[in-house]
Amino acid sequence: MIRHRLFPLSDLLGLGLIHAVAIFSLVLLVAPSIIVVIISFDTRAYVSFPPEGFTFRWYAEVFDKGELVEAMLNSLQVGLTVTLLCIVLGVPTALACVRGRFRGTTALSVFVLVPHMVPGIVLGVAVLFAGSLVGVVPSIWLQSIAITVFILAVMVRTVQSRLMRLDPALEEAAANLRATPFQSLRTVTLPLLMPAILAGAVFTFVEGFDNLSVAIFTHGFRDRPLPVELLALVQYTSSPLVAAVSGVQIVLAIAALVAVSMSIGLDNVNE
Amino acid sequence: MAKASFPKLAARPGVGERLIDALLSGRGIWPAVPAIVVLTVVAVIPFIVLLSLGFSDFVVSRGEIVSQTFSLDHLSNALSDSLYWTTFQRSLTLALSTTALCLIFGYPVAYLFLVGGRWTKRLILVLTIAPLLTSGIVRTYAWLVILGGRGVVNSTLAGMGLIDQPMRIMNTHWAVLIGMVQIHLPVMILPLIAVMSRHDGRLVEASENLGATRLGTLRTVILPLSVPGIGTGAALVFTLSYTTFVVPQILGGGNYLNAATMIYEQVVYSLEWSKGSVSSLILMLTCLVMLVAIALVTNHFTRWTRGSDA
Amino acid sequence: MMKGPSGPATTVASAAPVLRIGAVSKFFGTFKVLEDCTLDVAEGEIVTLLGPSGCGKTTLLRCIAGFWEANGGTIEIDGQHMFRVPVNRRPVGVVFQSYALFPHLTVARNVGYALRMRGLPRAEAKARVAEALDTVSLTGFEDRYPAQLSGGQQQRVAIARILVMEPRVLLLDEPFNALDAKLRGTMQVELRLLIKRLGLTSIFVTHDQEEALTMSDRIAVMRAGCIEQVAAPDEIFDRPATAYVADFIGTSNFWSARAEGGLVRLPDGQTASTVLKGEVRVMVRPHNLRLDAAGQGPWQGRVAFHRSVGPLVEYHVEIEGGMTLRVATMRQSANRPIRDDASVSIAVVDPALCAVYPG
Repeated sequence: MIRHRLFPLSDLLGLGLIHAVAIFSLVLLVAPSIIVVIISFDTRAYVSFPPEGFTFRWYAEVFDKGELVEAMLNSLQVGLTVTLLCIVLGVPTALACVRGRFRGTTALSVFVLVPHMVPGIVLGVAVLFAGSLVGVVPSIWLQSIAITVFILAVMVRTVQSRLMRLDPALEEAAANLRATPFQSLRTVTLPLLMPAILAGAVFTFVEGFDNLSVAIFTHGFRDRPLPVELLALVQYTSSPLVAAVSGVQIVLAIAALVAVSMSIGLDNVNE
Repeated sequence: MAKASFPKLAARPGVGERLIDALLSGRGIWPAVPAIVVLTVVAVIPFIVLLSLGFSDFVVSRGEIVSQTFSLDHLSNALSDSLYWTTFQRSLTLALSTTALCLIFGYPVAYLFLVGGRWTKRLILVLTIAPLLTSGIVRTYAWLVILGGRGVVNSTLAGMGLIDQPMRIMNTHWAVLIGMVQIHLPVMILPLIAVMSRHDGRLVEASENLGATRLGTLRTVILPLSVPGIGTGAALVFTLSYTTFVVPQILGGGNYLNAATMIYEQVVYSLEWSKGSVSSLILMLTCLVMLVAIALVTNHFTRWTRGSDA
Repeated sequence: MMKGPSGPATTVASAAPVLRIGAVSKFFGTFKVLEDCTLDVAEGEIVTLLGPSGCGKTTLLRCIAGFWEANGGTIEIDGQHMFRVPVNRRPVGVVFQSYALFPHLTVARNVGYALRMRGLPRAEAKARVAEALDTVSLTGFEDRYPAQLSGGQQQRVAIARILVMEPRVLLLDEPFNALDAKLRGTMQVELRLLIKRLGLTSIFVTHDQEEALTMSDRIAVMRAGCIEQVAAPDEIFDRPATAYVADFIGTSNFWSARAEGGLVRLPDGQTASTVLKGEVRVMVRPHNLRLDAAGQGPWQGRVAFHRSVGPLVEYHVEIEGGMTLRVATMRQSANRPIRDDASVSIAVVDPALCAVYPG
């Protein structure tokens, strides 16, 4: 008979170390963002820690600065365009990948995935070069479509995994209950896919809003998106202005997080 | 009781609806066609163009290419240029050390997720997913605040009387590495968590029931089972950190050259498009080779996942 | 009250079969899943497709429903060919194994789904949903969602959902699988009575012989894509056409013997008649065997194990050659169980009920 034995000392030490590292890592994940938010309320005109006072000055300045507001609006437009395109292109593709009965459903899934596996910077350069070959100059539209191609895989994957867990009998039942394929799609499949589409929409929107690697080569000369504007700002200024922009973005991120957890639940994000 | 019988046929649907029905009912490739067209035009063709530019001499006039001839010069120039070698070597070292450190710092979090209760799991998920929804620039900027001359680290150390002069951390290899690890940490943790939550908690209980210590269970059961997650995480972190642009540009202070910043300079500042093409192709190819290597190593450690007939 | 299927067909009983399955075959690639399956189902009849998993019973059901198209043969409903008729035009209702209730729709919306798809006016649809829910005794559950119902209630919603569209043929794909064992028995009886009351022509698929014996008017035993025997439950049980059917339905004892001159000699000295010659296999059910005190007959054995199965006692008796026979006797106060390890002699009660198959 094996006697129940206490875990040895080495075990406790090892576990202690593991837990310590885990907690350190978790702190590491959020601490920088918290520090940025703290800095954004500092009264001094240069980045320094700890802060000396409290002011909303930098937030006011963000919205006074025309080019920053414009950049935000540009990024908003890109984000929305990318999301819309990803839904329109991605959801039907996921349907074809999972429910299709043709040869090459796997090949199709892989094909959709490839642009996402390619480094964003390489895709950006390629789109820039190819565009100029046919006379398409960088613009907010080129940027949107390029980011769409880059991030489409995320939408397809999210919808695909939900679709694969959906009982195929539900669609069969709809057909058996006299629904045409379109009716079955509208009344059964799409409503059941909605959480996944929403989650995909959040992630594609964030990518469209925040992407730099593709955007830096494809954005329009006059309509610079927020990441490009921010990069310049970070590199050439040292005021807490950037911290204030970051503060705004962090609030948006929290909103996105809440949206995701309400649409599909955090546990399901990670497929 | 007399009553109308079940209607045998519905009202005739409109043309659009009938078209959609026809496209859907065959279970064919049709729904994917728009995406295939867009991907072909905006990804496949551009890659072919990139390839052709890397292997040709061409003249650019007013942003348009006017003439083009085949040439291997750019490739041979690049391969004989020591700047390329050192830059790519630096990128590779940086990416590999980032991947290793992300694993070292990320794995304990995943272990905590496995053994933790409901609220621990939730907290870990929130803390891991939230950064992914935040801009990479914002997160990198945070390190500027922390590591800068008057930043968190220096003021803390000075306040404790440990240093007189602010330490120079910014614009060094270390600043870049620290930033890279922190920024890519969530990307490592998520696949690990995914693979952890897929496995039955009873395996751990069984192992402990059979007399294994907690560490022994971690080493002999949990670690081997999480290899697929480690593979996925490593592949993602490697790709991102190998090709990243933001972190070196901001924390490296503009003079830290890695592959991505080099491509950026070639394409945007010095307008050397053939050089840019060749660099992009080398970047993509080396990245692919590393990914295959990671996949092969992962495969070797996950033979148990394949059926006996495979 | 819900009436049977509409139209003149209700008035003509046992005329042309409602469902005719003629030599249906189905391949997946080169793998043959169904081979020449032929079956007629009469008006109001419940026919069960019974067989182990992978025997093709679900495939046949899916071909009838139109989810899959058969590669050969014909499927007719009321004399109409179903070839190339899409799923949503076939007069067939399917109760799925998982019930496939739409989780995002209420009970009322689930039941009214078919009516909405056919564009029936709201008021009429509402009345018919209420009627169907009344038939399955679920009035008052209209606004619940499927997840808020018990397994048995979900099954009844699935049936009500089919009833509103008045199908000619009802297909049930292992509808009791999702229920726990205790509920199954009652639901089987209830469902059979309901279907009979509505006079629905039904095909019922299961791998559970008890379910099949409870539910069916006739049972079609399937094996590797073929229908082995179609007959009423009693006949299937008492006179299985092949050794496979005998083995699959109920408990059976087999041994090899030689047939000569239309007779097979049984080990206890009696004889059974047969048309076969040469090597044969003899089958006898446990309840057709009897245990006597040792030495009372030529067929000797030793009780290895016994157990009580409800009103019966089942003995596992080891006989010469390492074989084990199963013998079942009624539990009676006078008939005290024979102890394990006791020596006994075995006899066949009625040689006429022994089945003889080619060896």
